[in-house]
Amino acid sequence: MNKYHSVKASVFFCIVFNSAYAADYANEMDYFQEFPVVLSASRLSQPLSEAPNAMTVIDRKMIVASGARTIAELFRLVPGMYVSYYKGSQPFIAYHGSTDQYARRMQVMVDGRSIYMPPASTVDWASLPITVSDIERIEVIRGPAAASHGANSTQGVISIKTRDAGMTAGKSISFTRGEKGINDTTAHFGRRGDKLDYRMTLTYSADNGFDNLTTPPNGMPITQRKAVDLLNNSNDNNRMQLANFRADYHPNSVDRFDIQGGFNHDIQTVGWSDKNPNPAQPRNTNANPPHDQFTNSGFMQFEWIRILEDNAELSLRYYHIRQDQHEAFPIYLGGMYLPGPATQSVKSGRDEIELQHTVPFSVTNRLVYGAAWRQDKINARGYAQAFALIRMPTSYSYSSSTDEYRLFAHDEWRITPNLLLNAGGMWERDSFGNKNTSPRVALNFHLTPQHTLRTGVSVAYRTPAIGETRLYPLQIGALFVPGSIVSSPGLTPERLLSREIGYLGEFPDLSTSVDLRLFSDQVSNGIYASTIQPLINGMSAYYQGMEATLKHEFNEKSELTLNLTHELANCDIAALKKAGLTTTTPASPWIADVLSGSIPRNNASLLYTQRLSHDISFSSAFYYQDSLQPYDRGSLDYQPIQRRMDVRIAKGLNFGGGINGEMALVVQNLLNKKSTEYVAQNVYNRRSFATLSLNW
Amino acid sequence: MNFISHYTRFFWQKILPVLLCLTGLVTSNVYASDFHILVVLSNSSTPYQAFAHTFRKELPESIKTTLIPRVELYSGDDLQADLVVTVGVNATEVVLAKTSLPVLAAMIPSNTYEELVAKRPKSRQNSAIYLDQPWARQAALLHAVLPEHSRIGVLHSPDSRLPVQTLRSALSAQGFTMVDQPLHDQNSLFTDLEQVLTSSNALLAVPDNMIYSSSNIRNILLSSYRRSIPLIGLSYGYVRAGALCAVFSTPDHIGKQASTMSASFAQTRKLPEPQFPAYFTVAVNPEVARTLNTSIKSAEEILSQLEKLQGGTQ
Repeated sequence: MNKYHSVKASVFFCIVFNSAYAADYANEMDYFQEFPVVLSASRLSQPLSEAPNAMTVIDRKMIVASGARTIAELFRLVPGMYVSYYKGSQPFIAYHGSTDQYARRMQVMVDGRSIYMPPASTVDWASLPITVSDIERIEVIRGPAAASHGANSTQGVISIKTRDAGMTAGKSISFTRGEKGINDTTAHFGRRGDKLDYRMTLTYSADNGFDNLTTPPNGMPITQRKAVDLLNNSNDNNRMQLANFRADYHPNSVDRFDIQGGFNHDIQTVGWSDKNPNPAQPRNTNANPPHDQFTNSGFMQFEWIRILEDNAELSLRYYHIRQDQHEAFPIYLGGMYLPGPATQSVKSGRDEIELQHTVPFSVTNRLVYGAAWRQDKINARGYAQAFALIRMPTSYSYSSSTDEYRLFAHDEWRITPNLLLNAGGMWERDSFGNKNTSPRVALNFHLTPQHTLRTGVSVAYRTPAIGETRLYPLQIGALFVPGSIVSSPGLTPERLLSREIGYLGEFPDLSTSVDLRLFSDQVSNGIYASTIQPLINGMSAYYQGMEATLKHEFNEKSELTLNLTHELANCDIAALKKAGLTTTTPASPWIADVLSGSIPRNNASLLYTQRLSHDISFSSAFYYQDSLQPYDRGSLDYQPIQRRMDVRIAKGLNFGGGINGEMALVVQNLLNKKSTEYVAQNVYNRRSFATLSLNW
Repeated sequence: MNFISHYTRFFWQKILPVLLCLTGLVTSNVYASDFHILVVLSNSSTPYQAFAHTFRKELPESIKTTLIPRVELYSGDDLQADLVVTVGVNATEVVLAKTSLPVLAAMIPSNTYEELVAKRPKSRQNSAIYLDQPWARQAALLHAVLPEHSRIGVLHSPDSRLPVQTLRSALSAQGFTMVDQPLHDQNSLFTDLEQVLTSSNALLAVPDNMIYSSSNIRNILLSSYRRSIPLIGLSYGYVRAGALCAVFSTPDHIGKQASTMSASFAQTRKLPEPQFPAYFTVAVNPEVARTLNTSIKSAEEILSQLEKLQGGTQ
C-alpha cells in the first residue's frame, strides 16, 4: 500500500504542491511542507525566570502524583496557600492565611474564563464543570497581577488550563471506590483530526464529606449539649454529575477556534445540626438545618486565535457562565416547626468579551494589549413564612446587572540580554462608579543564565462583592441572598501595594532548582466589620514573609518538590476597636491581633515521586501547617497544627490488543493525624480509595 | 519573519577547490559552446522554480539550458542534451527510467536516490545532491544547542527506512544517547510518541511523512511542549511551527551547488560521487527556547560552529 499517497500538505501562502506522488519513496515533501504555527505566543508561557511575578506551576505529573481527588486539594502544593473547608464540598482557597469562607481576594480562571461569581465573589469548586483529570496544568501567580489579569487579582491569580482537545484520543474510563462513600466514575473520549480535534468528559462523583469528631475539638471543655451537636458531622455529602467538551478547529495554518462547553449538576448537603432542637435545648431555633442544596452550572466559551505576520497574534474570546442554586428547608422556632419550608434561589450569570493583540516589535520587545467588557447578572430571591412573625416581608429578592470595562497593556522589554523589564497596567471602570488603575513594574536580572534576581512593585484593587454592600439583615439557609437596600453605602475598593524580591537559581550539576521570594504586601482602605454600618473601609493590614520552592531530581526515576513559607501579618483592628469603630475582637485572649493569629506562621509541602519499575510508580505528599485561629471564627474552631501525609502507588496494566490502563491506590492522611479545618467539625481521618482506569 | 534569523555562508572547505578549478576553466574558455543541460522539474511549485532560477543564474552563460517545468511534459526526448538535471523524486524517477544520458538528481532524499539508481544499468552515469543533511551535521547541531549526555528521541516508521545504526553512531560521536522508537503501527503514533518522550531530553525529527505530517505536527509539538522537550526540526517550516531549531538547505542552496557540479561536468564529462548539501542554514525559534528555559546561541553562531566542524559530504 502506498502510504505516502495520503500525505496532505498544508498550504501556506504561495507554496502549493500540486502533484500526487507517484512512487512510495521518501520525497522532498518532508522538507518543503509548511506547517501551521502551533506554539504561538498564547501557547508559550513565560519561563519562571522571566515572569514578572512569583509563580508556581502544578503540572499533570504533579497532579497525578499528589493523589488528589478534588481540584482544591492541589493548591496545598503552592507555597503560602491556605486550603480549608467550610463544608465537605465547600473548600476555599486563600493566599495570606485564612479569611472568611468566601475567600474573595483572588482571581480564579479556567482557560481564561473568570470563575469567581457574584454575589459573594467566590468560587464554588464543587459545581465547576471540570474534573481533576481534565486539568493539564495550574499556574498560580503569588502576588497581585491585576495589570494582566484584571479585577480581584489582588492576592494572587489561579489559572487552570484544561487539556487541549487534541490531547485525548481514544476512550478511557476510570472507576474510583473508597471509604466515606467515595464513588467516582469518569469517562473521556476524544478524536484527533486534520482540521478538528475534540474531547469529551462525563463524570459522576460522590462522597460523604468529612468524618465525625469523636472528642471535643482542641480539648476544650464544652457542655454536653454543645458536644452532641458538634460531634455530628454527617450532613456534608456531595453528589455531582458533569459533562464537558472541548473542540479545536484549525481550518488553516493561521486560524484556530477553541470551542468549549460544560455542565454540572451538583447536590450537596448543607446546613448545621449545631442549633437543631435537641433534648438539652428543645426550644432551639435553626434557620439553617441540614438540607440539600441544588446547583446547576454551565458555560460556553468561544475563542478565535489568528496568527498574524511577524508572529503577532490576535485573539477574541467570548464566554458565558451561568450558575443556578436553590434550596428549601424547614425553620424550627420556639419548639415548633413553622408552616411551609423556606425557599431561596440564587441565579448568577456572567458574559465577557475580550480582545487581545500580541505584537512582538522585535526579538527584544513584545507588547500585549487589549480591551474587555464584562456583564454580571444576579437574580436572588427568597421566601420564608416565618418572617411574618417578626414583621419582616416573607418574600425578599435582589436582582442586578452590572457592567465592567477594562483596558490593559503589558510590555516585556529585554533591555540587555541580562535585563528584562515587565511593565504594564490595567484601567477598569464598573457600573458602581469604581474607576481603578492598577500598574505593575518588574525587573528581572539574569546574573548568569542560571541565576536570576527579580524585583517588582504593583498596585491592585479589589472591588467589593455585591454580598458585602448588600447584606440582608436575616440570612437564613446556606445561600447568600443580597438585600435590596444597600446596607454598607459608600464601600470602595480595597487597595493593595505589593513589593517583592525574588531569586531563581538553577543548579544543573546538582539537578536542583531554587525559587525564593521575599514579599511585603500592604492593604489600605481594607473592608472591616464596623459599628457604623455592617462593613466599612479603613482597615490597614501588612503581610511580610518568605517563600521558597526547591526542586531536586535524584535520578531519572525520582524527584522531589519542597515548598516552605514563613509569614507574618498584622493589622490596626485593635486601634479601630479602641476608637469604637469595630466590635471585632480576637477569638482567643492569647492572640493579640486577629489578623496575625489567622495566618499559619509556617507552612510546608513536599511531593516525592519514585518510579519503582517500568510500570510501578510511587508518590507521597506531605503537608504541614502551623496552628491558626481562623479569621472570622470563634475559639472553638482554632486549628491546631496540621500534618498530613498522602501516598499513592500505581501499577500500569497492559491487556494487549491496544487496551491498557492503571490500577492505583491512594491513602490520604496515612499517619491518621487528627486535625480540623476552618470549621472544627471538619475532621479528615485516614481514608483510602482505589482507582482502576482503562484506555483503548 | 524577523524573529527567526537566517544566515547562509559559502562552504569554503568543500567548494573552494572546485571554484578555483572553474575559474581556470572559464578563463581558458574551454567549454564546448554547445554544452546543453536539460532541467526537469517534478512540478512547477515554488521550491522547484526557486531551484531552476538559481541554477540558471549561477551557470556560466555559455552553457545552454532547457527547462521542462513539469515532469509530465518530459517525453523521453533528450533534445540532444549532454546532461539531465532532475529536480525532486518524481522527476528523477521518470527520467532515470527513460534516458541513457548522465543524470544529476537534485533535491532528493539520499535513501530514495539510492533505491532509484539501483534499478539503473551500472554503465550509465548518475549522481545526486541530496536534500537531507548528513547525520553528522544534524548531530553537530544537537551538540551546539543541547547539553552533553542528552538523550535524543527518534521516532520513525518502518517505511522511512531510517539508517538507525548510522544515526546512532553519529549521535554517540557527539556524546548523545539515541532513544530509538520505531512506530508500531499507524494508530499507535501518540502512544509511541509518549513513550519516546518519557525517556528523552529532545526529539529529533527525521524525514518520515507517516509521522511528521501537517496534520500530526500540532499534536507532536503540543505533546513535546507539555513535557518541556524541544523538537529539532528538518526545515524552516518546523521552526516556524514551534520546533527549537533546524539545519537545512533551501532550493537556492542546492541550485547553486548543482550549477557548480554541472559546470564541472561540462568540462570533465564526469559526475562526482553523490553529495550532501554543501550550503546550508540554521534557523532558531528563540521564543520556544525561552519558554523551554534553554539558553540557545543565535542562528549565526550555530551556523559558523557547524561550518567549522565538518565538510559538506559525509
